[in-house]
Amino acid sequence: MTDERKTSWVLFGLVVIFTGLTAAFLENLWGRPAPLEAIPLVDRAFLDTATVRRSYADLIRAKEDLSDFDCYACHEKNKPPVLRYDAKQQLIVPPEHSDIVMGHGSHGRNNNCFNCHNETDLTTLQPRDGRVLKLENSTPLCGSCHGPTYRDWEMGIHGRTSGYWARNLGPIDRKNCVNCHNPHSPKFPGRQPAPGPHLLHPVVETGPNPSH
Amino acid sequence: MPDPSSEFRVNPPGVDRRSFLRTSAVLATGLAAVAASLRPLMDLEDYTTVERFLQKYYKELTPAEMDRVLQRIANEVEKQYGIRPHVRDLKPMDGVEFVYALNLTRCIGCRKCVHACVAENNQSRNPEIQYIRVLKMPHGTLDVEKAEHNYAPPQVPEPGYFYMPVQCQQCKNPPCVKVCPVHATWQEKDGITVIDYDWCIGCRYCEAACPYWARRFNFTQPSIPKERINPDMAYLGNRPRRQGVMEKCHFCIQRTRAGRYPACVEVCPAGARKFGNVLDPNSEVAQILRTKRVFIQLKEEMGTSPRFFYYFDV
Repeated sequence: MTDERKTSWVLFGLVVIFTGLTAAFLENLWGRPAPLEAIPLVDRAFLDTATVRRSYADLIRAKEDLSDFDCYACHEKNKPPVLRYDAKQQLIVPPEHSDIVMGHGSHGRNNNCFNCHNETDLTTLQPRDGRVLKLENSTPLCGSCHGPTYRDWEMGIHGRTSGYWARNLGPIDRKNCVNCHNPHSPKFPGRQPAPGPHLLHPVVETGPNPSH
Repeated sequence: MPDPSSEFRVNPPGVDRRSFLRTSAVLATGLAAVAASLRPLMDLEDYTTVERFLQKYYKELTPAEMDRVLQRIANEVEKQYGIRPHVRDLKPMDGVEFVYALNLTRCIGCRKCVHACVAENNQSRNPEIQYIRVLKMPHGTLDVEKAEHNYAPPQVPEPGYFYMPVQCQQCKNPPCVKVCPVHATWQEKDGITVIDYDWCIGCRYCEAACPYWARRFNFTQPSIPKERINPDMAYLGNRPRRQGVMEKCHFCIQRTRAGRYPACVEVCPAGARKFGNVLDPNSEVAQILRTKRVFIQLKEEMGTSPRFFYYFDV
């Protein structure tokens, strides 16, 4: 075989190899790296800035059905309702008010409706200092017992604030006690957490290590 | 006696058929190989435009140049997402220093702040980039080594644990700014440490320097669904980032420099997050720092002096 012939064969071989590689590249025969597993978008419920609950004042503002708050549709005027207690001095919640869970205070001692409600006019509230407050203006009532928290709330430290921190640029939106706390059971409710961070690559479960 | 003309036939002038074919085959193969190696360029979507490449440093831009830059960003966003954004360059206000206070007694670990932040700041959804990491820690310790962030119980808070969200602490003495070789990140007058995403070279020194793991890197082209784009954007804030640049919490610069609360404050159901101007004695944060008993700057011993305070009450 002459040198010239050998060179021809080598070059021919290279041409074949490179043509093959070109075709493979263009056709993407190796495939791109597998796309990462798509992370589902977070439920928009977790982006909601609404407070935990709606207060009576919110319902009035939204012009919603307030028939649940029409006390004298059932109660008689000028006749204070009678409270009944069981043997352990726990208040018996009448079936008409079965949605109320008595959970204000940790020792079950705050068991008298008229600690806050006004027995002579059920549409109002009364702190122990003799004031009479409308149902939608319950915050001073809460403050009559929870002094330090009320002071913090007044400064904006306790509770939700939204809107503008710069008072000269826009209004601040302050929330009231009952926007977050249920007055009958004020402990802040638990909730489902939003999804945690997803790992870039899924963790392969290897099972328990036998050496341990 | 040989023919003298035969000497000239060894290297004949011109090209014979065989060498022509050989040369052209080699040439064609070479060209095809070069073309094939350039194939990935066809997949390139986000290439640097001349405008972006020649853009000046943020602090050297004149207002007219800044307008052109904002225009360019708006065009790029519109081209990519089909939404015309409102891009602004908000400057720090006089007499304002932002401080954040987080009530560890109130935080219930619901992670709503994490996702409100992602939605507000146009962070990549795939892969996922989040500025806030909520740590779950057992009562009686503040040791982040004992923290867990992948918790997923049906309900939070879990008894015996408290939750500590960690994000950029906007340090007064920021280590990330010191290490940046190109001054693409710096501390502004109102205390926010910002990043110029067009100046960042993606060396990730700042990520290594940050003791709070607050900085996030775009390893791939970020992807955001069109319907979740927040069109209210700021140059140093939440405008969409590119692959290869660093990002982090900037106290929602597009909101806070316009006087509003950050997105994480607005969404917190427990009212655990407080934000404001510490130079105003009547602001929430000033009152917290004045009246609350205990507050912590995370990793205080690092000497970073964070503007992010954790406190307890009750």
